Amino acid sequence: MDFNAIQIILVFIVSFIVAIDQFDLLESLYQPIVTGAIIGAILGDLQTGLIVGGTYQLMTIGNMPVGGAQPPNAVIGGIMATVFAISSNLDPSAAVGLAVPFALIGQYMVTLLFTVMSPVMSLSDKCAENADTKGIVRINWLAMAALGLLFGLVCVAGLIGGNALGDTLTAISEKYAWIMNGLSAAGGMMRYVGFAILLRMMLSNDLWGIYFAGFALATVIGYIDGLGGSALLLIAFVGIAIALYDFQTRTAMKSAGLGAGSTGGDEDGI
Amino acid sequence: MASNALQYKDLTPAQPLDKATLNKMVWRSCNLQGSFNYERMQANGWLYSILPGLEKIHTNKDDLSASMQHNLEFFNTHPFLVTFVMGIVLSLEQQKADINTIRAVRVAAMGPLGGIGDAIFWFTLVPITAGITSNMAIGGSIAGPILFLVIFNLVQFLVRFWLMNWSYQLGTKAIELLTKNAKEFTRAASMLGVFIVGALTSNYGGTTVKLEIANGDSPIVIQSILDGVLPKMIPLFFTLLLYFLLKKKGWTPVKCIILLIVIGLVGALPFIGLF
Repeated sequence: MDFNAIQIILVFIVSFIVAIDQFDLLESLYQPIVTGAIIGAILGDLQTGLIVGGTYQLMTIGNMPVGGAQPPNAVIGGIMATVFAISSNLDPSAAVGLAVPFALIGQYMVTLLFTVMSPVMSLSDKCAENADTKGIVRINWLAMAALGLLFGLVCVAGLIGGNALGDTLTAISEKYAWIMNGLSAAGGMMRYVGFAILLRMMLSNDLWGIYFAGFALATVIGYIDGLGGSALLLIAFVGIAIALYDFQTRTAMKSAGLGAGSTGGDEDGI
Repeated sequence: MASNALQYKDLTPAQPLDKATLNKMVWRSCNLQGSFNYERMQANGWLYSILPGLEKIHTNKDDLSASMQHNLEFFNTHPFLVTFVMGIVLSLEQQKADINTIRAVRVAAMGPLGGIGDAIFWFTLVPITAGITSNMAIGGSIAGPILFLVIFNLVQFLVRFWLMNWSYQLGTKAIELLTKNAKEFTRAASMLGVFIVGALTSNYGGTTVKLEIANGDSPIVIQSILDGVLPKMIPLFFTLLLYFLLKKKGWTPVKCIILLIVIGLVGALPFIGLF
């Protein structure tokens, strides 16, 4: 089944928008239940689109982007599954299977973009130094457009190349799997730079113990199954207790006249 | 690189932000993750979202720059609950609180929201609405996707607008109590912030090594030996190493990132197999 130019352009526009939507905008247009219907309507078979979208949606409900992890990309998955179901007359689950190589490429695109955007943060720093508010706005929009463009190209390639392209993509992704492994490992480590910058500004020498206490508590809670979602909330309770105790002790000392200036306090006699 | 300023030059509290500016920032908060990256995650999007407020608060260019710089540090929270952090931070900015206080409150507020937001949106709202509407779609009804979008976005925007206004009021009220003991509050907030960054090091730190040493039927798994000494040792090691490089050696963040990419790629080489 061939698609005409208007259909290809429309698919590109839809993939462009929903690719951005998976992290921004309404953060709901990208769900397969929506993209299935839209792509189905564009390709002239709304019914199949609804069925594939609904089926794929049910499959992904147990597979949400929780805690920053990247699932095999559901955006491209939903779009390509609908395309294959309509073009090759497949049942929904077979179509979803054929969409997997494209979803994998989509995931690689996301990894690449998030890696490339890390050094771009030094450009943002420059904008901040110059109080250039437009620069910050521009970087945000350009990064969104880049994501849309990458996904739009993958989806159009899939639309034109069909499921034969999927085999080629699988071969390529197996060959270069180690590069993506390396980039994801590096990506996973880059957040430590972010932590280090925060510590550089916040950590006075007398607070090292507090840093390690937070680390220790989080590690202990991390080993308890079932506390994955609430871990940081529980940790915040303990942290607030420590901070509040310090605050109350110091303000009480100050109002009792034992604050700065009379450093001896109780230990004067020793 | 982050500015080292500790206080704004103009310490006169700014006019309270009007409703229109607050609402404008709620709309902007939808693109919080527009420039998401592995180093500072949502930082640039966070700054983008609160800029309309910062521009109203800091009429002095130096202060606006100082505020933009510290708001570009690592930031990550739940995208649908971010307006809660925005309201509190903006109330502190408006009162010209110490920069370290603002930084610490921001860090302390962003962390716990992730779990709460996941529980509300990804574990409750989406499974229920998508579960029902998917079956409508499979039955061939176009009402399925439409209903899904309407319900989801209604809840999302109610939460976004309500949290922004509520937390801005909350922050404004709390500050009046805290200005009397500003120094003590800054110290307590920094303690909480450092505690949370310690927790994030472990909680967000997922780096592990795949290395195994052949030893007949029972290969020696390096990661389990490391875990036996101290779990999450690798995230802790890298955070401290990068802290040392940034603070003592004067490295730029970009240099740190290049180092990590090299480590990642070399470690992933098929004949090394570290990652």
